[in-house]
Amino acid sequence: MPKTITIDPVTRIEGHAKITLQMDEQGEVSEAYFHVTQFRGFEKFCVGRPFYEMPYLMERICGICPVSHLLASAKACDALLAMKVPPAAGKLRRILNLAQIIQSHALSFFYLSSPDFLIGMDADPKERNFFGVMAKNPELGRWGIRLRQFGQQLIETLAGKRIHPDWVVPGGVNEPLSIEKRDKLLAQIPEVIEIAQKALTWFKRDVETFREEIRTFANFPSLFMGLVTVDERAGYYEGKIRFTDSLGDIVADKLEPAHYPEYLGEAVEPFTFMKFPYYKPLGYPDGIYRVGPLARLNLVDNCGTPLAQQEWVEFRELERTAVLSSFYYHYARLIEILFAIEHIEEYLLDPIITKSQARYSASLNNLEGVGCCEAPRGTLIHHYRVDEQGLITWANLVIATGHNNLAMNRGILQAARHFVRSERLTEGMLNRVEAVIRAFDPCLSCSTHADGHMPLQIRLLSPDGTLLDEIRRGS
Amino acid sequence: MNRALVLACGNSQRSDDSVALHIASCLRSGNCDPETEILSHQQWTPELAEPISKAEIVIFVDASAGMPPGTIECRPVQPAPDASAGITHRTSPAALLWLAEKLYGRYPQRACLVTVGGASFELSETLSDPVSHAIPRAVECIKALLSGVTLPEG
Repeated sequence: MPKTITIDPVTRIEGHAKITLQMDEQGEVSEAYFHVTQFRGFEKFCVGRPFYEMPYLMERICGICPVSHLLASAKACDALLAMKVPPAAGKLRRILNLAQIIQSHALSFFYLSSPDFLIGMDADPKERNFFGVMAKNPELGRWGIRLRQFGQQLIETLAGKRIHPDWVVPGGVNEPLSIEKRDKLLAQIPEVIEIAQKALTWFKRDVETFREEIRTFANFPSLFMGLVTVDERAGYYEGKIRFTDSLGDIVADKLEPAHYPEYLGEAVEPFTFMKFPYYKPLGYPDGIYRVGPLARLNLVDNCGTPLAQQEWVEFRELERTAVLSSFYYHYARLIEILFAIEHIEEYLLDPIITKSQARYSASLNNLEGVGCCEAPRGTLIHHYRVDEQGLITWANLVIATGHNNLAMNRGILQAARHFVRSERLTEGMLNRVEAVIRAFDPCLSCSTHADGHMPLQIRLLSPDGTLLDEIRRGS
Repeated sequence: MNRALVLACGNSQRSDDSVALHIASCLRSGNCDPETEILSHQQWTPELAEPISKAEIVIFVDASAGMPPGTIECRPVQPAPDASAGITHRTSPAALLWLAEKLYGRYPQRACLVTVGGASFELSETLSDPVSHAIPRAVECIKALLSGVTLPEG
């Protein structure tokens, strides 16, 4: 008898969601749905506010990646002012963005996903958690804490506080970086580089033991999208949009982020509040694409910093074409941490970084502005329209996690078809379906502008909708 | 090694939830030994395990929605893992002590949680009267703890 499984809540991700698996008459999973069940409506309640408030309103969307929203919003405001920021401010903003990528990736890898790697996909959830990791491998715990601490301290040093800083302003940043602070930051670099390298060594040693997960965790052809700089590196703060395909070939290149409505569509499905962006020329849902660490490493032919470049070469040797398994998002996160640390060091060693000119001022010059940057989870776009008094009349946010929505849904279906094969649900089945989502590290607080933890419910339904089995976790 | 560490937790935009931040400000403005490290955060997260491991005494300060407004409670904290709470949003004092010991080999033998009962946790940057009036008593309580006085529980 066909049936449906619901996983509610999904755990160890940011936000609330549930999963429904539809079974067919043969007991195979026929459909999978990832339901994001919250809505906050930031795009609506900002209407009527002065544009210069937007960076500080929009960063409140998220407590994990507020810096991304702060930067994308400030860049949209820069566009409203039709101005560039001082060179020092541009580099300081770039450092801030990379610092956030470090702390967010460390959170995802060490705090949320390492229990799966270290304790095991089938282990009892009472053991398979952050504390289980700390008990079994304290060194791994110290690495994660130190890397996250480094990213957060860097944000605090530059921006005054770790969460929801107001240092980035339209036209630049509020305060330049002192030589003393720069030197303190530089002094920490060797230690965190060593930790990032050790973590990569540890993960690469054991990653092949997850062969089944690598094969079945959202491992399929798709497009990849992200920002690429003029020198062909992943553009975390700036660049043009590039799409590549699963063979690694460029599909579209040098697209203006501000022109995103020309090449990105947003579909809506009745089972979730999260939209489904797609690549317009291929239509919906064939225009499926992925963003974030895996995409960024697939888009370019050069990582750009010495140590990360070595790791990137090894990473790309995993496949002759693009690296397709979403399980490798975890691997890509570690490489990006290493890249970010090296790149931060480059910026800090640039004498321009401590120049006192950190902000320009201007009046409103445009009635429409778009800001774009790479958030930890992928490409983030803020788009505002204002009236002649500078009050917001319309806002649209295209969020990193949202870009991956189609891929997450398809990935859940792939994993569920492989692992869920009976009317009785097991913890290992449930965790693997969750872990597919966890690989993408979705931030549902961002993508729906929603709030809170993400509990999990899996429901197993018959073809006629009868509930056959159900597992709930969290609340 | 830091002699003492005070960890204040609260949201400055949630009315009485911010009482610990106010208490921390009072302590910073000359109300305790200048060598005492005082850290204010919106959340307690695992990264705090490292500075905790270096302290001889740690005092956690927080608001409580489950106590009568303006009342103050002080109780000792022992290390214990706590997987029930989401670590990305809040790590309990007991779990932080446990992490300090597991990851860094030691935790302060004297660890206390000082809580102040709140009346309102709505969106506001203003404290309620009973909570505002409780701040001097809470500061004196923490100073006494820092000076080595063992207070009765409750």
